[in-house]
Amino acid sequence: MMSLPTTTSDLDLLRLMMAGDEDAFTMIYRRRQGGVYKFALHMSGSQTVAEDVTQEVFIVLMREAARFDPSRGSLAAYLYGIARNHVLRKIEQDRLFVPLGDSPEDATGACATLVGDGDPLGDLTRNETIQELRDSILVLPPHYREAIVLCELHEMSYVEAASVIGCAVGTLRSRLHRGRALLVERLRAARDRNSASEEVKPARCFA
Amino acid sequence: MNCHEMEEIVNDLARGQMMEASLREKAFAHAGSCACCAMRLDDERALTAGLRSVAAAAAAEEASPLVESALLTAFREQNPAKPAPIFVAARYSARRWAYVAVGAAAVAVIVMLLSLGGSRSQVSQPPVPEKAGGAEPIVPPTSEQRFAAPPLSRATDDKKLAIDGHVRRTNRRIANAGRSKPAVDKPEESISYTEIATDFIPLMNRDSLAQLDSGQVMRVELPRSALMSFGLPMNMERADERIKADVVIGDDGLARAIRFVR
Repeated sequence: MMSLPTTTSDLDLLRLMMAGDEDAFTMIYRRRQGGVYKFALHMSGSQTVAEDVTQEVFIVLMREAARFDPSRGSLAAYLYGIARNHVLRKIEQDRLFVPLGDSPEDATGACATLVGDGDPLGDLTRNETIQELRDSILVLPPHYREAIVLCELHEMSYVEAASVIGCAVGTLRSRLHRGRALLVERLRAARDRNSASEEVKPARCFA
Repeated sequence: MNCHEMEEIVNDLARGQMMEASLREKAFAHAGSCACCAMRLDDERALTAGLRSVAAAAAAEEASPLVESALLTAFREQNPAKPAPIFVAARYSARRWAYVAVGAAAVAVIVMLLSLGGSRSQVSQPPVPEKAGGAEPIVPPTSEQRFAAPPLSRATDDKKLAIDGHVRRTNRRIANAGRSKPAVDKPEESISYTEIATDFIPLMNRDSLAQLDSGQVMRVELPRSALMSFGLPMNMERADERIKADVVIGDDGLARAIRFVR
């Protein structure tokens, strides 16, 4: 079916697609849908929402492809940006997230609050912990969540992720740092609940 | 390095980001001496490993085939199936012929108007001598003489032929469009095969000619008396002969300019 070489660039495929080439559109979709779908899935936690968002992203692409400006970033970043807007809108509509305390004072003294006994996060690779981590990501505030999803789960560079979100790299780094700290906190709290017999003794580092 | 500095780089350290080797060594040295920061670094490393596990677990996730089907349906609706190339060519050709037909109709109208104007001129105006001298009898030139004659535009310089920048630009545009004729300003390279033409004379207002971005040039034949309609000299003895002209037709089918050729 596909007559186009797999090495065809996104930009060339986009031009062909705009000229009505269905194969080009199909190739763009198959090349990029996975990332868009997973981003929406990690952000929403819902396969239905992820599929809706994926569909909307490519509908927008086929209708407004001319709005893509290659000088401002890659096609993938452009698609992620559309997906982000749709996901945030759906999150806002569905009220899926539970706000976490993220006031500035929470950030101070992070060292003290994160210190506990034992090895609280040593077994994160286990399946149940993966699910717990997924749940923890889903309850992060969206601006921390998207930083975690893009930089950690999609392995984007700071620059790419910042272009998707539309913020400065420094802002992204700050959000990522804070998001990770919140995750560690939540996971530690969950572990503490599981091991209720163990008492957590905060300690402060003066080194 | 103190704990505050360690806190600033602990994420990058746990995520294996690029950083200065000396800074990394200092961070590890600090973690070796500070149990709190060592624990913090371990937590971050564990979190990084956990996040990579989440990413790996979702690596195979993708939208269902139904999404692709729905999108392809939408794409086909937006881009209706194009007919085979031969039909495309035929459709394009038909459209082109429609333009030509409209242009031909416009030229026919112009010819009628010019004929009427020419006949009126013959009645109302006295014969205009073709040369300034005017005393010598006008003899129909032989074909050699005709082709060797000086360009019409030079001969009519005294008559103040309407030439302006707009016309010149349009002339260049039209020439670039493919129907290039030797311009009167160019030296005559090949006497026997060179056509001589006036500059384009606007038929409408000059603004409309300046706004013309594209169009077609059509070669037509007009009664020689049409020359008089544009204030050009004419040999009355050859009034019954016909003269060639190029007419610029805009995309709207209206004639914009004309030049006479011999």
